[in-house]
Amino acid sequence: MERKKIFQFTLIAAIIGFMLAVQFRSTKDPIVRDTRDIWELRQDLKREQQLQQQLLLEIRRNDDQIANYEQTRSIDEEAMLQKTVAELKEEAGLTEIKGPGLVLTIEPFYPENYVGPITHTVSPELLKRLINELNMYGAKEIAIANARITNTTAIRDVNGVTKVGNVKIASLPIEVKIISNDVSTLHNHLKVSTISDDFVIENLQLTVSDPISTVVIPKYDGQWHDVRYMEAVEAEKEGE
Amino acid sequence: MWLPLIGLIIGITLGLLTNWRIPDEYSSYLSISVLAALDTLIGGIRAHLQNVYDENVFLTGFFFNIILAASLAFLGVHLGVDLYLAAVFAFGVRLFQNIAVIRRIWLAKWMERRQKS
Repeated sequence: MERKKIFQFTLIAAIIGFMLAVQFRSTKDPIVRDTRDIWELRQDLKREQQLQQQLLLEIRRNDDQIANYEQTRSIDEEAMLQKTVAELKEEAGLTEIKGPGLVLTIEPFYPENYVGPITHTVSPELLKRLINELNMYGAKEIAIANARITNTTAIRDVNGVTKVGNVKIASLPIEVKIISNDVSTLHNHLKVSTISDDFVIENLQLTVSDPISTVVIPKYDGQWHDVRYMEAVEAEKEGE
Repeated sequence: MWLPLIGLIIGITLGLLTNWRIPDEYSSYLSISVLAALDTLIGGIRAHLQNVYDENVFLTGFFFNIILAASLAFLGVHLGVDLYLAAVFAFGVRLFQNIAVIRRIWLAKWMERRQKS
């Protein structure tokens, strides 16, 4: 009798355990079906391949740099480091840059008999859209009203006036300078882009200059913030 | 005495190993079934401790409760009323009551043993 009872309890407990486990499994990681069709798959594959290529390029560059360091270690260590610092500074936007590019002019644009508010500034959204568009078409360096756009430049609205980094855009017209490796493509893209329509909606006119052989983009003139709240990771010894 | 626990562990490992999954829309049925089963198990332990255990009541209660709970949830889904909450409530209350009874019985036994020694 007692044995039968224990057997029944065991059976019930096993069934409960089974149900619990199945429930746990199905709520923890539900099956996500892959619903991509062949074009999406191809696109994803292409993206991954691009990423791979980019990473390989980066690895190669770093390898080259290491080889350079090793080669010149005894000869000219300091010059090598200086060169790296200069490269990094250029990448961070701390140096003036000259190169082929375009100059865009943003002016007020009012139809005849216009009655209504007059703007003296360009809204941050519009500027961000412009920068996105320019980056999409392969702009390398951008300066808005002589304020260099870096990775950390904030474009924001301060009491109705747009600030790009530390520069207030309080009066029009302003110039947007762009340096690109492929100026003619950028120029053509901008010509057919709808971005100028977006400017017209805000009563502004965007004029695209012809390609210019030398555009000078100033260096980032603000305080370069030190990196805070970050600490160097102590490298642990790794087994080879 | 340890056999039921081993049974539970065997059940869990079996469930994890089989890699079964319940579709999302049926997971509420399974959860309510688990609750019903748990209620029956705890009720069985209580009955065993109170010496009123009856295997027929236990086994029929187990399957009947599960089926009833699942069909109540099913009916609730089709009526647009969260009827499974009724089952959750009923089983939840009973679960707590049974556990309280078990605790009291164990406590009484423990006190008895302490007084003896």
